[in-house]
Amino acid sequence: MRVGYFSPLPPEKSGVADYSALLLPALRKRTDVVVARRGRRRAPRGVDVALYHVGNNPDAHAWIVDALRRRPGVVVLHDFVLHHLAAGMTVGRRDGHGYLDLMEREHGVVGRLLAHGVLDKRIPPLWESRPEEFPLSSFVLEHATGVIVHSRTVRDVARAAGYEGPVWVVPHPAWPVPELDSVRVGEGPVIGCFGVVNSSKRIPELLRAFADVRARHPKATLLLVGPISPGFDLDRRLQRLGLEGAGLVCEGWVDEPRLWALMAGVDACVNLRHPTMGETSGSVIRALSLGKPLVVSEVGWFAELPRDVALAVPVDDREVDILTAALELLVTREDVRVEMGSAAAELARREHDLERVADLYVAALEQAAGGDVVSDAVLREVSDAAAEVGITADSAEASEIATRLAEVELGR
Amino acid sequence: MRVAVCRPQVPFARGGAEIFTDELVTELQARGHEADLVSVPFKWYPGARVLTQAFLWRLLDLEEADGKRIDLVVATKFPSYLVRHPEKRVWLVHQFRQAYDLDRTELGQFGESAEDRALRRKVQALDRVALGEATRLFATSSNVASRLEQSTGLRAEVLPHPPQELDYRCSSYDDFVLSVNRLDRSKRIDLLLEAAALDPAIHVVVAGDGPDRARLEELARARGLDGRARFTGRVSAEELADLYGRCLAVFYAPVDEDFGMVPFEAFLSEKPVLTTTDAGGPLEVVADGRTGLVVAPEASALATAAGWLREHRDEAASLGRAGKAVAAEVTWDRAIARLLA
Repeated sequence: MRVGYFSPLPPEKSGVADYSALLLPALRKRTDVVVARRGRRRAPRGVDVALYHVGNNPDAHAWIVDALRRRPGVVVLHDFVLHHLAAGMTVGRRDGHGYLDLMEREHGVVGRLLAHGVLDKRIPPLWESRPEEFPLSSFVLEHATGVIVHSRTVRDVARAAGYEGPVWVVPHPAWPVPELDSVRVGEGPVIGCFGVVNSSKRIPELLRAFADVRARHPKATLLLVGPISPGFDLDRRLQRLGLEGAGLVCEGWVDEPRLWALMAGVDACVNLRHPTMGETSGSVIRALSLGKPLVVSEVGWFAELPRDVALAVPVDDREVDILTAALELLVTREDVRVEMGSAAAELARREHDLERVADLYVAALEQAAGGDVVSDAVLREVSDAAAEVGITADSAEASEIATRLAEVELGR
Repeated sequence: MRVAVCRPQVPFARGGAEIFTDELVTELQARGHEADLVSVPFKWYPGARVLTQAFLWRLLDLEEADGKRIDLVVATKFPSYLVRHPEKRVWLVHQFRQAYDLDRTELGQFGESAEDRALRRKVQALDRVALGEATRLFATSSNVASRLEQSTGLRAEVLPHPPQELDYRCSSYDDFVLSVNRLDRSKRIDLLLEAAALDPAIHVVVAGDGPDRARLEELARARGLDGRARFTGRVSAEELADLYGRCLAVFYAPVDEDFGMVPFEAFLSEKPVLTTTDAGGPLEVVADGRTGLVVAPEASALATAAGWLREHRDEAASLGRAGKAVAAEVTWDRAIARLLA
């Protein structure tokens, strides 16, 4: 089987590029993969199936969706909310009508009116202010012959959005843990938070909870690793909470080796977010590989993590209290950290093993590439046999045959 | 209890699964159950026929027969477990191995075309659905159970079954090594012939028939084994019991076999089993130096092992007796009690 592979790749900096860099060699061990050059909108010649990695960033993914529109294929949905991508491919290309139509198709007249508001600059861009309410994924899904997702949550959301094609849940693969010396940034327990520092990562809530914990455990340290979003005034918040210079270490953006070293040196990782765009987190996967206990928000894929691996914090008015209790538990109970950490490492081995993930990819691609031909052959033979004995298409017998075929996934 | 035992039937072929299901029906009846065999012909080629022929099972209505309820069905091997029944027990002999471990081997069936690859995946999907419906899932050996778990994530209880009813006895330890098997390339009877070619003292009796017979007979001729390798074809139950009773040892080394009744039959005749490290299921009962000899899958290693048994007949007898004790543990009483529980 020959697979045409569309994805951002390093040196492009994106989570999906890193993902593909990890997955591609394992996939190539199993099947013939032809990687499409960036910007190319035609599938490479002679491929049996094309695979399109789609995320929400128009700079990284618009060309991939253009190619998908030319030739339908299997879509890896890295985010379910694709409003930013949709806006980039319509408004960003001076195609306001395209944006209006998309919004109307998914959200009716109200959607069209809101889109007018955006185009007329009467309301803030929805892809920045309320994207989760207007996912706009249908313009991608309508061209997908099958969809690969990383979580049951996104599978269910795609189904609820009316997608009827095959959906395969393939876990995010785990990176091999590099040989490294861990870097510890504090003498006492260290809680790490890796990723962009902003409100949707619930950093304000994390800072409040940690300030509370640190008041009782002065040796505890919070490590923030990641760039600070423009407009997020971290210093002012720290000042207000009395955390400036005490118990908090900010590393900003770091390269991959430093990221691993710092993560290896923490006692637990916190990865919160709201809203979720249906994404998984590379940081969480790395933390699992390193056997780190986790605290996550009870949303989307994060809520699917087993309870013995991750403490889940609801996003509601109890959030800071429960987060505080979770941090307190992990700061004070080494036995809990050890137990959760070993469950995390086991989960990474069992669920996120790269070879297993590549096997699941190949299974999905093989079904997508030849499944219809096989289904047609089965249906033709069964319907011919039925017709030969006088069973007509609109009869009760034909209906039963169709039911039985569907039961064992032989129907279409 | 009214029980339907389900098995696919390849017309004109008869092997371990057929013997097993026939005996299961007989043993159920002997324990007062009303049991019958339900059989549907199976052909697995060309192309999508493996699916359409499998699908025939799905159309059967086995909830009742002649106005009387069937209490449970026992499905055995692919594709009989596609059958529908509210009390479907599966006693798995094997899946369609061409879609799994035999894929991309010389014993495989599916090529590299997109259609063939998808066909293989459809077989796997059938298994996941149909085996997932079973109210209880048993496998005839750990090997079968572990293949199942690896391929579908489904866990089966290991439930071995006794071998066929024969007049088992041990009359002597003559000079010949016995092979009892369908003559099929995967059974690797050529290994035994190659071993005999290396040691002129080794005599071989090959019981059974199958598509590989002409090639094996030609191989025996080419290696100059005339007079030392005898092909009996299919033999009667009495002849088989006699061969078991007189042989020195029994050779049984298919590639990663599911289970195989031959080792138990050898043991009940107090004969050691000669097998290889990659034989799969048989290794669950053939322990090297305890109930037989387990060697590398190479003719020279087999020749050495057969030679050792010939030179150490007391030890051979002792291994055979230890095997008998193992086989005695597997009874129909125990198997049926678990199956119907």
